[in-house]
Amino acid sequence: MNKSTLLFAVLLCSLPFAANAQQYLTREGQVRFFSTTPIEDIEAQNQQMTALLQADGAFAFRVPVLGFRFEKALMEEHFNENYLESHTYPNGSFEGSIAGFDAALQDGEQHDVVAKGALTIHGVVQEREIPSKVQWNGTGWDIDSVFEVAPADHDIAIPKVVRNKIAPSIEVTVTATLLPR
Amino acid sequence: MTVGLLDGAAKAQSLLDGIEAAPLVITPVSATFKDTRIINVQSNETPGKNVLHFVIAHRFGQINEGAYALWGLDNASMRMAFDYGVTDRLAVGVARSTFQKTYEANIKWRALRQNSDNSMPVSVTLYSVAMANGLKWSDSSRENFFTSRLSYVNQAILTKKWGSSLSLALIPSFIHRNLVEGLTDAHDQWTLGAGGRYKVTSRASINAEYHYALAGLPTEHVNSLSIGMDIETGGHVFQLHVTNSQGMFERAFLTETGGRWRDGALYFGFNLSRVFDL
Repeated sequence: MNKSTLLFAVLLCSLPFAANAQQYLTREGQVRFFSTTPIEDIEAQNQQMTALLQADGAFAFRVPVLGFRFEKALMEEHFNENYLESHTYPNGSFEGSIAGFDAALQDGEQHDVVAKGALTIHGVVQEREIPSKVQWNGTGWDIDSVFEVAPADHDIAIPKVVRNKIAPSIEVTVTATLLPR
Repeated sequence: MTVGLLDGAAKAQSLLDGIEAAPLVITPVSATFKDTRIINVQSNETPGKNVLHFVIAHRFGQINEGAYALWGLDNASMRMAFDYGVTDRLAVGVARSTFQKTYEANIKWRALRQNSDNSMPVSVTLYSVAMANGLKWSDSSRENFFTSRLSYVNQAILTKKWGSSLSLALIPSFIHRNLVEGLTDAHDQWTLGAGGRYKVTSRASINAEYHYALAGLPTEHVNSLSIGMDIETGGHVFQLHVTNSQGMFERAFLTETGGRWRDGALYFGFNLSRVFDL
């Protein structure tokens, strides 16, 4: 796609939204994942999540897999090369909506909500209902979410020899502050 | 319910479609090769910071010895090596080979690293090794000097990774011997090597390397050609190969390779590596 087409597409997308729904955006949302076993803890951080929330509750995020940083270089290499195959599947994403999201939540208190939608990791889509917390911070929305992802649900094969080092279910924490677009 | 979900998903799809992600932080390309060696020769990789990389390698006898010597498996030449990552770009190592009872001390520095956005299109790694022959003096009656045992190899390892599967290397090497056998033998030699790997699965690749001596070699020696595969099992890398070089340190395989492929005078061998976090 050349630049002018892209610009046109962006305009085309943003015009109707601008007309009917406020949007909140971040390009530096944080994603952390944590795997714990008696043998080894593995943790990685990513601060490059793009997320967008719309006043009607529509919500999506996208995380570049290559942006995860590990404590050990070899872990990062194995993560990208062997498990997530980030060259083939460069992004993890969520596309859905926050059930019961409305302007009444804009009271500065933290509210429990459920994000319902399609979670895509390693090219495999899972329909998920993810409990999350939203809070109006005066200008935008703070979003916090902790949920579990099982590698097996996303066709991520873990060889037997390392199965005692990688948890069967991995804790994912998403933290972001979305500001008006 | 289902309709609502699909509806939501469809809406969300259009949500991010027009939005460009923040540009990826530019990172060095990782895993150009699975291990610190392609087969015999160094790759661009080094152990990570504070990682001890232990390699145990064997080259068995010549395959053309036949069934009597179990195609060479009765004999083995061994190399044991410890490489330590001082930083993510600098490694130092020591090794001992049974071949000529040779000790090695080496240093490896990733001078330039290929970047994810190709703003740096290749990696350049420098490798320097000093080798000490540990055999008894062939003539103990004359005055022998320790420096006569020493030889050195300096290499520049140029590598490039294309996509996730194909990596190639170009490796010029300079070999220096303090002591040579004959008056007319050269103290200095140059070789130009090429190597590469192609990943066939996420954990296995086919590897090959060849080294050409620019000024030729004495008639009893030939250029080194090796073909093998890497198998990674998480923490371990197994490299299995067939090569016409029995020596596993640089001077030996670059300039003292004795086996000829056309005679089947080849060595089956493996490198087995294990990493330890210190």
